[in-house]
Amino acid sequence: MSEMNPPENMNSNGYEVPPEMRNNIAITTLDKIWNMGRRYSVWPMMFGLACCAIEMICTAASRYDLARFGMEVMRPSPRQADLMIVSGTVTKKMIPQIVRLYNQMPEPKYVLAMGACASGGGPFKEGYNVVSGVDKYVPVDVYVPGCPPTPQALLHGLMKLQEKIDSESIRTVRWYQPGGEEPIPVPILGPDIIDPRDFPKFKSVKAAPAKAETAAESAEAA
Amino acid sequence: MFGLGILKGMWVTLTHFVGSFVDDIRWLGRRYYTPEGIAHRTSKDARGVFTVQYPEESLPIPEEFRFIPFLIYDVEEDGSHQDRCTSCGICAKVCPPQCIWIVRTDDPETGRPVPEPAEFFIDIDICMNCGYCAEYCPFDAIKMDHDFELSSFDRHAEHIYNKDKLSKPASYYAGIRPTNYAREEAIKAEKEAKKANR
Repeated sequence: MSEMNPPENMNSNGYEVPPEMRNNIAITTLDKIWNMGRRYSVWPMMFGLACCAIEMICTAASRYDLARFGMEVMRPSPRQADLMIVSGTVTKKMIPQIVRLYNQMPEPKYVLAMGACASGGGPFKEGYNVVSGVDKYVPVDVYVPGCPPTPQALLHGLMKLQEKIDSESIRTVRWYQPGGEEPIPVPILGPDIIDPRDFPKFKSVKAAPAKAETAAESAEAA
Repeated sequence: MFGLGILKGMWVTLTHFVGSFVDDIRWLGRRYYTPEGIAHRTSKDARGVFTVQYPEESLPIPEEFRFIPFLIYDVEEDGSHQDRCTSCGICAKVCPPQCIWIVRTDDPETGRPVPEPAEFFIDIDICMNCGYCAEYCPFDAIKMDHDFELSSFDRHAEHIYNKDKLSKPASYYAGIRPTNYAREEAIKAEKEAKKANR
């Protein structure tokens, strides 16, 4: 057990373990064992949005190796993921999909805003097409500054997330409250952006006056 | 012959795979967690692939690496801190994502501006690490930092840096960027010598 490197404070709940039984038994609270299992199995979701994704891929590859932290594999499905690394600029067109992916993730679920764009909009914070900070729509647990953050900075953010998981308790964590959690409403593209689903409507509006004109012309001609 | 390129590529992968084990045996335990081990792994002589064991060891940061900016203050002989910043606002103007904002100081009696910032804020979650502020600053007062371990749980409480959090002594700057510091000091000394001669 000592080789498996358990958290140092595993046994720190006031019970004395006799010296001859050290490393054989562990008296701990449910929270601690729960959090330990959780912190060493945070599987990120495999999706990238912009240039930060390149750094995320680098972090996941062998040189920096996410698997050392138990973030074993990037899962291509939200159903199998615990962590959403929002890596890059979130456009207004992309935010409905991100919120939907977040809703589809099973609890426990965490969000890490990677880089300036995801955290606060970055250089595009006043852009017409960019969400200035993904935290306006989904609850973000850790913010990693940088443009883009280096792989080591991202790893630091992931270790921060592990710290956050350590501080959680089953009794107070929001997804185990009675009644469960409501899914976040999926935002709909605002009026400042064209909703592609409305294209047929736009076409019909455009087509209608043209028809009326031709009718008037024909009436004049008659 | 078709497929020869694939075989060649796979041969390279195989040599890396074998090379990393050969290197491990040759360096036996000194390859990780030691400065000379890291120096060897980042040199051209390294064979094979390796993992940076980040929290325990980290790659040497090159001098021109830039992350979030910081403000430099000079420590005077009597121990007081003298900000180099004069709150001229050039950095705030050139900043492409507009993440710097400065509160200027006014003399309470005359109401005229005093050349030092009352407050200096940088939103590090907007900053894009471009280094324009450091490049344009006429007083060498703002420079890019090497510290990248800045992630936190709350953006609004912790990621909007104020003057206290940004200010660092000139000796820190000399420590992280020695050649830049030496060059700037030489230019400064030359200018002062010219001024004295005139």
